[in-house]
Amino acid sequence: MNLQNRGETRDMIYAKSGNNDFIQRITRSKLNGFIHSTFKHTLNIQCLEDGELYTIACKEIDNGPNTLIVDAASIKEWNVQVNDKVCTGNNHISLGNKLTITIERANCWEGILPTYPTDIFVLKKNVEQMKRHIETYGTGGGIKSKSFCESPFELEMSKMLHERTNLVLNELLNKQIQRALKHAVSLIGLGPGLTPSGDDFLVGLFTTFHLNGSYLSQHKEFCKEIEKVAKTATNDISYMALKKASDGKVRESIITLIEVLLTGEKEELILSLNNVLNIGSSSGTDIALGILAGLEINFKNGGLLNDCSSNS
Amino acid sequence: MIVQVIVKANTYFDSVSLMSLSTKANQIDGVEQAIIAMGTEMNKEVISNVGLMTVEIEEAKTSDLMIIVKAENERICANALEEIEELLTKKNTTKGTSEARYSTIKSAAENIPEANLVVIAVNGAYAPREAKKALENNLHVMMFSDNVSVEDEIELKQLAHEKGLLMMGPDCGTAIIGNVALCFANAVRKGNIGIVGASGTGSQEISVRIHEFGGGITQLIGTGGRDLSKEVGGIMMLDGIKALEEDEATKVIVLVSKPPAPSVEEKVLAQIQLCTKPVVVWFVGGDEEKVTKAGGHFAKMSKEAALKAVLLAGADESKLNKRALNLPLIEEVRAKLTSEQKYIRGLFSGGTLCDEAMHIAMEKFSDVYSNIQREPEYRLKDVKVSQGHTFIDFGDDQFTQGKPHPMIDPSTRIERFIQEAKDPSVGVILMDFVLGFGAHEDPVGVMLPAIIEAKQLAESEGRHLEIIGYILGTELDSQNIEGQVNKLIAAGATHASSSQNAGLLAREFVVKGE
Repeated sequence: MNLQNRGETRDMIYAKSGNNDFIQRITRSKLNGFIHSTFKHTLNIQCLEDGELYTIACKEIDNGPNTLIVDAASIKEWNVQVNDKVCTGNNHISLGNKLTITIERANCWEGILPTYPTDIFVLKKNVEQMKRHIETYGTGGGIKSKSFCESPFELEMSKMLHERTNLVLNELLNKQIQRALKHAVSLIGLGPGLTPSGDDFLVGLFTTFHLNGSYLSQHKEFCKEIEKVAKTATNDISYMALKKASDGKVRESIITLIEVLLTGEKEELILSLNNVLNIGSSSGTDIALGILAGLEINFKNGGLLNDCSSNS
Repeated sequence: MIVQVIVKANTYFDSVSLMSLSTKANQIDGVEQAIIAMGTEMNKEVISNVGLMTVEIEEAKTSDLMIIVKAENERICANALEEIEELLTKKNTTKGTSEARYSTIKSAAENIPEANLVVIAVNGAYAPREAKKALENNLHVMMFSDNVSVEDEIELKQLAHEKGLLMMGPDCGTAIIGNVALCFANAVRKGNIGIVGASGTGSQEISVRIHEFGGGITQLIGTGGRDLSKEVGGIMMLDGIKALEEDEATKVIVLVSKPPAPSVEEKVLAQIQLCTKPVVVWFVGGDEEKVTKAGGHFAKMSKEAALKAVLLAGADESKLNKRALNLPLIEEVRAKLTSEQKYIRGLFSGGTLCDEAMHIAMEKFSDVYSNIQREPEYRLKDVKVSQGHTFIDFGDDQFTQGKPHPMIDPSTRIERFIQEAKDPSVGVILMDFVLGFGAHEDPVGVMLPAIIEAKQLAESEGRHLEIIGYILGTELDSQNIEGQVNKLIAAGATHASSSQNAGLLAREFVVKGE
């Protein structure tokens, strides 16, 4: 379907679903900006009004914060370039003079993390299953070390990631929130890939701080403190994921995994875990390990406790 | 050593591309170390810790992509950076590749002087003539063609031996030469382990297991299935071992084959004794004592062979996931199968995978039949009808005459699968799914409706049917191994993590009275 506009022909495609905030921006307020980065299945828009990144993703990608899923298999054919102008209006978002996306048929998605359960029997059983699955199927090279490091850089990276994640976890286990914060900051921007492994691990960890009723949910400011530092310590794309996760906003596949962990059966768990493990190269594994770490802390430090003994 | 750096401002590539680029960059000849990473302070700290800090790196910003190359001299560094740039450009464009066609080997050799290998896949009647031309033009040969006479094979292999060239085949389906996979092979990491294999899927399995254990391959030299016969005398196997012995990058050698003819076995063992490098030997159903006596490292099964190889190549055993058998699952499945369900039916597209599963079953059962059994007594009387425990290699000539190989066209196996699923004496159906270059793009997907149908059929008859699938491939193969595994599990099948584990699980599921 084509849409004529000022003598130019622009392709129009439909958005299938979108995060509530993004859809509101398109329908109620203005969003002006430019294309920040493009990949095979996603592109990012830098918004001039609030400075945030908004993502347009193909249908194979799951819903997420600031994300609009469109009915397309790849964005390569769109010929959209970095720095092309982006504007919204009339339930549409226009990418340069090349493409218009309409949200008329888009379902609104809002990701809400579940509450931490009072009975953690199923959760504990699923966490053990998840650990075993990651040991076998998780991708090494990030938080999970490779059995073979191919270069001194990889070896050193692996060592630093291992040491620093352990320091964060030990301090959190000892309820030393401020000390944990210091070590967590040293993970930002550390690691291979577009979203460094340290950042991905923190995204997973932050998720567990937003399970209301858990021990860590009393210390959500931990996430906000890290987010402040992350703005200048990592790249824009990874920072956006950290910023959203610090408010408990994460991708649909992560929310589904958490839901299944709390109440689901083994088969469901493996399917939802695989969806997370398939994120990026080692990103999914790093996120999953962050979730595991946070849940272990919640197990050990207690669930629905009014614990005021921390130094936060 | 020289360190050269390129910092690309505000440049983003997805993580999968970055990891793959980084692996490829480290494999460029002469490069000691290559790093491709985002310019964050923490990444810079790692770079500083390994002594590669430069002014350019210090100035890189969090949204910049850093490309760092360490090599012996400036020329190698510059060439490597150029190659990495090319790889980056390829990732960023969708341009098609160009193809040139030459009508003769001679004209191809003249027009591509840097080429040193020819793959021959013409009708077997013409293949020897083309192979001879290639060898006379000092080109190595990989001959995919079959139906070549043994006399022609001997003549070609002797010519290649005299000229110091490889004559892989006839009927050679798998090779990896200079990190380029030829015909049916998998995308595996470059490393320090060399393989000489007389069996295609056996060599694929070893290369994939080595990759999974974190190791990598220097060369995978195929010999063709008949090389170790008395007539051919193992010419290519012996030359292959010598080639890997002389190859500096190869630290460990793995041999893969069915047991050779006795006279050839003697020659191979003598060659092993001459090797200064460790040699791991996996001859399916082979003799441990003879191999050990010759100074080789014997492996009874495929995963064991790969594990021995990576450990000899320097892997840290404590960091390896050896994928132990799932014992609770064995108990669970045994409890579900009735006393009548006592047979395994193995339906394979890979000959050596079939052979391995069959030998594992033969350790505990006497009634094991196959179309590839070496003992005539246990060869299937009619390949269309199963007897006792039956293992079928659908890649064997009886099934492929006038039809594509089952790795490309799985239709024959699908029909047989439904037939086996209806048999109430069957407890386990075992199948392989081969990924990699040349293989079907979605081997599990095409089998999925049949698996679901078989499960429903068994359930409607009140019995449990256990289906085991083994997917041979790596995360670097184009078919997306994770997706293939997910499909298999979603259909209610059990996923085995290796050929060895698949065979062991099948056997243990149907063992009664233990």
